[in-house]
This record gives sequence, C-alpha cells and structure tokens, in this order.
Amino acid sequence: MAVVLQQAINGVVLGSLYVLVALGLTLVYGVLVQINFAHADIVTLGAFSAYFFVHGVGGGYIPGIAVAFVVGGILGWAVNAAVFAPLRERGGELLPLIATIGVSIAMENAMLAWFGPIPYAFDSPYSSEVIRFGGTFITVQNALIISVSVLTIGLLYAFMKFTFLGKALRAVSQDRETAGLMGINPNQLVMLTFVIASALAGMAGAMLGPVLVLTPFAGTSVIVKAFAIVIIGGFGNFDGTILAGLLVGLIESYTTQYLGPGMIDIIVFALLLVMLAIRPTGLIAEKREENV
Amino acid sequence: MVMRLRVCCLAAGAIAAALVVTSTAVRAEDQIIKIGALLPMSGPGSYFGAQDRQGIELALDEINKTGVSGYKFEVKFEDSACSPLPATQAAKRLLDQYKPDVVIGEECSDATLAIMPLMELAKVPLLNAGSSSIRITEPGNPWTFRIMPNEVMQGVDIATHAYKRLDARTAVLLYENTNAGIGNARVFNDTFTKLGGKVLADIGFGRDINDFTSIATRVAGVGKIDVIPTYTLEGQGLKITQALSQAGVTKGGGGQAIQLGTIWLPFGFEQKAGKAALGYIRIVQFDPTDERALVRNFVVAFKAKYRQDPTHLHAHAYDQIILIADTVKRGAKDAQSIRDGLAATKSFSGVTGSVEFDKTNQNDKMDTIHYMETLPDLSWKALKWN
Repeated sequence: MAVVLQQAINGVVLGSLYVLVALGLTLVYGVLVQINFAHADIVTLGAFSAYFFVHGVGGGYIPGIAVAFVVGGILGWAVNAAVFAPLRERGGELLPLIATIGVSIAMENAMLAWFGPIPYAFDSPYSSEVIRFGGTFITVQNALIISVSVLTIGLLYAFMKFTFLGKALRAVSQDRETAGLMGINPNQLVMLTFVIASALAGMAGAMLGPVLVLTPFAGTSVIVKAFAIVIIGGFGNFDGTILAGLLVGLIESYTTQYLGPGMIDIIVFALLLVMLAIRPTGLIAEKREENV
Repeated sequence: MVMRLRVCCLAAGAIAAALVVTSTAVRAEDQIIKIGALLPMSGPGSYFGAQDRQGIELALDEINKTGVSGYKFEVKFEDSACSPLPATQAAKRLLDQYKPDVVIGEECSDATLAIMPLMELAKVPLLNAGSSSIRITEPGNPWTFRIMPNEVMQGVDIATHAYKRLDARTAVLLYENTNAGIGNARVFNDTFTKLGGKVLADIGFGRDINDFTSIATRVAGVGKIDVIPTYTLEGQGLKITQALSQAGVTKGGGGQAIQLGTIWLPFGFEQKAGKAALGYIRIVQFDPTDERALVRNFVVAFKAKYRQDPTHLHAHAYDQIILIADTVKRGAKDAQSIRDGLAATKSFSGVTGSVEFDKTNQNDKMDTIHYMETLPDLSWKALKWN
C-alpha cells in the first residue's frame, strides 16, 4: 500500500512539473494557434538563470525562481518582438512555426557554447531534505514543486477570469478579428501571451533544474511529454492540460513500478494516438472550432 | 634591356621561391599524421567529448614539440553525438574530406559499433578508449582496437569483488537501454548469479528519463539489497544516486545498499551528487594517485595547462594519442602501418595502464581497471583490488 501511495506522490510531482511546462505551450496555442518549439529552450534558460543566481551570485533558491520567471518573460518579449511578430505580419502560419524551430536550435547551441556540455549539479537547499510519513517520502523540493504548480494554476485562472487583460486574452483566443473590433489590440495581447508563457517556462525551468539533469538539452527532454500532454488535454485548453499532465505523471510512476520504465513512452504515446483517434478535442473539449 | 633582365631575374627568383615554398609545404604535409576524432560534442554524452579534447590537446602539445620520427600530429574533431546516425555521418565526412591515417573514438558503444564497418571499408584503423560493449571486439575486427577493458572484463571483475570482498548476495541492476548498458548489466547478472548471488530486479530505462524517484521507489520495495550496479551517463547517474539516497536505499540516505559502477562516470561525480554518493564504489580507468612517473608527469602537465584535475576521460584520450605516436616511433607512417603497429603493440605503458592487444584487438591488461570508493567528505580512496 505504501508503494502505491508513494508512486501516487511521485506521479503528482512529475505531473506538476509537466503542467508547469505545458501551460505556456497551451497558452500560446490557445491565443495564436501556433506551436512554439522554442519553449523547451526557454525552460532550459530559466533553469540556468536560477542556477547562476543561486550558485554564481549566491542568491537564495526561491528568489532564483523569481529571477527565472523574469528572465523567461524578457526572453519571450525579445524573441516575439525580434522574430515572431515580424513574421506574423507577413502572413501565413508556416513562417512563425519554422521560426520557432530556428530559435530553438539557435538557443540550444548558444547555451552549449556558453554553459558547456557537462551536466550541472543544481543543488536546491530543499533537494536533500526529505519528509517521511507512513512509509512514504517526499523531498521538500518536490513539495515545493507541487505548491508552486497549484499557486501558478490558481493565479493564472484568476488572471484569465477576473482581470481585463485576462478577459481580453480569452476574447482574442476565441475570435481575434471580433476582439479587434471591440477595441482590443491583438498584437499587444499576443506579445503579452508570449511574455506570460515564457515567464512560466522560465519558472518551470527553475523548478525543474534541481530535479532533472541540467544541461543545455534539459528542456528538450521534457518538452516532448509536454506536447503530448497538450494534445491529450486538448490544444489551448487549461483544464485539459492540467488533467493530462497529472495523468501522464501518474502513468509514468505506476508504469515504472509495475511494468518497467521502458514501457512509459509506449503507454503515453499510445494514449496520445488513442486520443487523436477517438477524441481529437482532448480530454476536456472546449467550445471552439479551432480546437477540433 | 637591363630593365627587362631585372624583371626576368625577379620573375625567375619568384618562381624559384614559389617552388621552394611549395616543395616545403608538400614535405610538411607528408610529415603529418592525420588523426580523426569522432567524439560526442553535443547531446547528453557531450561531457565525454569536452574532456577527451583536453586530453588529446595536451598529448599533441607534448609530442609536437619535437615530433616523432620526423612526423607531427594533427587532429580533426567531428561531433558523433554518442549516437549511431550522427556518428555514421560524421565518420563519412571525416573519411571523405579529411582522409585520416587513424581515427579515435567513439565513447558510446552504439556509436562505435555503427562506425566500425566504415573504418574497415576505408581500411583506416579505429582506436577506441571508451566503449565497453563486447560486440566491438568479439569476434574481432582487424581495423578496430580497444584500450579500455570491455564489459566482460569489467563486469566479471566487479561482480566477483562484490560477492567476495563485499559479501554481497543480493543486487538490483539499473542500466540505460543501450548496447553498453544492457551488456554490462547482463555480464554482472551472469557472473553474480553463477557465484551464488541473486538479482532482485533488473531495470532498464531510456536516456530520456530524468526523474528517478519512481524507479528508486520500486527499488526500495524489492527487499534487502546489498549492491546496485548502475550503468548510465553522468547526468542520469547523478539523479539515480540522489533518488536512491532520498528513498533511503543506499548508504548516503541511511540505507545499506552500495552502488557500484563501471567506467562511465568522470571524477567530480561525487561532488555533484553530494552525500548521496557516500560508499559508491566504481571502476575508473585512471588512478591519479598512481605513483608511476608517467602518471605524475601527466597530472602535473594537465594541471598546469587546464588548472584542474584530470579525469579518466582526459587520461584515456591522452593515451590514445601517445599510443599512436608510439606506433609512428616504431616505423608506422600511414593507415596500414599504424594498424600493424597497433596490433604489434607489446607492453605499452600509458597513464591509464598497460596496453597489449589480444587476437581480437582487445587490450587484455587488467591494470587499467582501478577501483575507488566515495568517502563521507566526498573525497575518494583508491581500492587496491587489482
């Protein structure tokens, strides 16, 4: 029983990490109907920002998360202003999509040049503190991951539901032209979307850094799962993304326990194919045509 | 007329000078041994390439000061990414464009296995120092040589020591699903069970797994474990060690199990893993406390050049270049004669240990296997097991 409970905890931790990464992806897709392949590298850069803040500057880990959030946001603004926005103005969906791949490769190689290929040991002061209860355990770092995920989800919901900008974002994601006619500037909101999504990615990186292997390729190792989660949850659907993230996390931990880690990808991606075949709108269907 | 004569003289002089320069250039080119290096410079195994390069460049500095038998050495690096497809592409590029006399690499067995047929076809010797799969030298390939102990040599040795010296009777195997990972785990399993030990769980995983808490949870649930042989690259190795400690399985987390490893991890791993690495016993290919003058000189030169301590990766890359230079000293000057020189190597003494190839071109000297154990202060001590 303790093992079952322990794997549930492990699954929720893993799922929370995936949700943190996937939320930014689904936000960008929801507003722009665009897949952002550079998201993984913003996650990685967020992890490195926090790492150097903690181990280079000597700052605390929690402030390091805030630093990664800000760095991610600034990067999102810069990349959108310099690359994506000009390409979108030229029209077509393919150019910005290809550009996200280009930005991703450029960032990955820049990080390889700056930080080198050797894995960094990102020691959060909470990684080695273990809380044990009833035959189960959780590190303080993992408890922090769950807490930050819950807080982030709550704040994002509140932002989208109760603030003018959040409502405007939802309006743009539902119908950009009509939103424009209502006096909303879609370009500014697209920029805001990139900034929020990238800030979330940066923060996710800071949370992931101490858990995963920190190299210039760290984000790439989670982004494939994050894409799968966005598809399983329903492109652009927050609720679906959260549900799918937790589901994938739990599938991973229980598959490891009962079938072996070698089966994880088979099961997760089989689920993805099944979802595409029988429910392409995702776990929670949203009332919008683009979601089909 | 005088003017025309001067112009003619100048032109003749220029032509003569050009001929001299050209012939010198050709002679200089003829006196160079071209070494291709297929190493992972990107991806999760890129720490191999980064460290190998330092060892190679140190060796080049030393042998190119005076040259060897009139030859200088140059190295062309290509990124083979620790993976078969990029390794094959890099090998083709190297063979087609650079036309090396000898190639060193790769570190990962899957990549090495992929490039071996290309080297054989091109009749260029491949000198390997970092891949452990038995398939590289069994049944044997006339163009591939390995100075590193293979998975059988390492696996049999460590399993025997685990059973006899550590009194281990139960084990859990953790390994990446690659030729090297699977092969190393299999050899340990076979040897350990033959001796009377029991393998409680056999857990393979992909290189894309990063969070090992679930695996550690599973390991914690299998019963009393004495040893956990682990075969992964450094990044995953760090996370496994930390997860096993957090789950209370290994000594670092208050448990009883001792993690065991073979030549996969560089020095410095302990400092990165922290106290989770306490009691970790692993094979390294190089013992920096070795008192031989050769090793002392290498350590001093390495520290002087890079202001850091050398790892076994630096050491085996350094040895590869010095061994090639040794074949040149013995008369080799092209791919065929370097191959023959490697095959004829007798008791070459490198910083990692001795080298002498058997009929499969495997270095059969066991003094390249060194053991080390992580101490509570995260330093380590050499275990004189071999």
